[in-house]
Amino acid sequence: MNEEMQEFHWMMTLLQNVDVGLVVLNRDYQVKVWNGFMESHSGLLPSHVRDKSIFELFPEINEDWFRRKCWPVFDLKSRAFIVWEQTTYLIRFPNYRPITGSEEVMYQNIVLSPIVSPTGEVDAICMMIYDVTDVAAGKKALESAQVALNETLELQE
Amino acid sequence: MFSVLICDDSLVARKQVAKCLPDDWDVSIHFAKHGEDALEQIRAGKGQLLLLDLNMPVLDGYETLKHIQEEALPTRTIVISGDIQPKAHNRVLELGALDFIQKPVNAETLQSLLSKFDIYTKTDEPKKQLDGLDPQIRDCYQEISNIAMGQAGDHLARMLNVFVELPIPNVNLIEVSELHMMLTDIEEKESVSGICQGFVGPGVSGEALFILSDSGVGELAQILGIEGDIDDKTQLEVMMDAANILIGTCLNGLAEQLDMHFSQGHPVILGQHYNIRDLINTNKARWRRTLAIELSYGLEGFSVHCDLLLFITEESMKIMNAKLAHFMEDLA
Repeated sequence: MNEEMQEFHWMMTLLQNVDVGLVVLNRDYQVKVWNGFMESHSGLLPSHVRDKSIFELFPEINEDWFRRKCWPVFDLKSRAFIVWEQTTYLIRFPNYRPITGSEEVMYQNIVLSPIVSPTGEVDAICMMIYDVTDVAAGKKALESAQVALNETLELQE
Repeated sequence: MFSVLICDDSLVARKQVAKCLPDDWDVSIHFAKHGEDALEQIRAGKGQLLLLDLNMPVLDGYETLKHIQEEALPTRTIVISGDIQPKAHNRVLELGALDFIQKPVNAETLQSLLSKFDIYTKTDEPKKQLDGLDPQIRDCYQEISNIAMGQAGDHLARMLNVFVELPIPNVNLIEVSELHMMLTDIEEKESVSGICQGFVGPGVSGEALFILSDSGVGELAQILGIEGDIDDKTQLEVMMDAANILIGTCLNGLAEQLDMHFSQGHPVILGQHYNIRDLINTNKARWRRTLAIELSYGLEGFSVHCDLLLFITEESMKIMNAKLAHFMEDLA
């Protein structure tokens, strides 16, 4: 195997194993790349999702809303961020830790990044899905503790 | 690092004393709940300066001072107490304390004592350096900010379909205290929400802060064609959309001109549940000065305006200056 091929192989292994969901969508919102994270959590093989519309695959996605989020990425080459506080999840995945996890679903932060072709056009975008369940659960617990504390303090007065 | 040990049985008092330490003093702060606790920490090498209360359980201030004297522990002590009887004052001085401050302590008194005993003197040096931000470099920062701001304004205009007004960007080296004043000022005028996002490129790191007045959210939602009541959720959507565009495009614009690439972290939402000033408070000790680029956007025909502040660490400026020197040559 020549060196370039080997590096390519390494890259593919990295993409496959990284603990972040990686998806490439074209302008018709068809799935072009689907990494190991996405496969594991959705239970759908890359061969199954390839060239299918993300909206057909996952009807839970609010199409208008998601298109509005993707518009600046396609048309302005600007990155877009979606945080779990906006929408708990984009694609419903069960919690990573079914036994010890306190939440039912995976809370997600999403990053949408343009993929600029050699001609300077954005034909596709890269979607990264981060599992932020622990962060979200921690923040929610902290907030409810604060509410409880305030109530206690008010009772004392 | 110089260690300050604050010994008081009251949590509130400990916090209050900690707050009165000079904010540009690079020290580690430790806390003790009573004399015994304090002595243990001093024996372990902490507390070159001890700020000591008198009335405490387990081991009170007087006893603590005695132990320090007997064991010749390496610490200097300032007593902070509500007991203002002259006798108490004299006794602690006899027991080796440097001085006595009455509770509640205030920052000025404490700082003048720190300076009197040569423990810490506020330097005016940073101010001099501040004024020394090379005008040519400042012009250069202003120019690249201007270009980035223009690109971001254009993108915002295209998203909203309105004309975006762009004042001249403000570029300054500011200190923590000034940032405080700036944020306090913004917060006092009206209720605001914000989003902050870290960014990092090779050798350059900083944070972007996007601030939008709550009154402006409704107008923006209207412009964006979002119908219905403006609840927390709508507000968040509007803010995120605007922040994504402005922060993303501005950083891209700057990065392009500096010939580098910035990665952006996940955005953090402020204001809705946080107090913006609190965010700065917690990080007080970590930095003293920052390069601040203030960009303010208005929309023609609307009262709404939003601010984008880019804070870039002092260390990053070396790299940026080098990149900009190149940029200036290009211009010439």
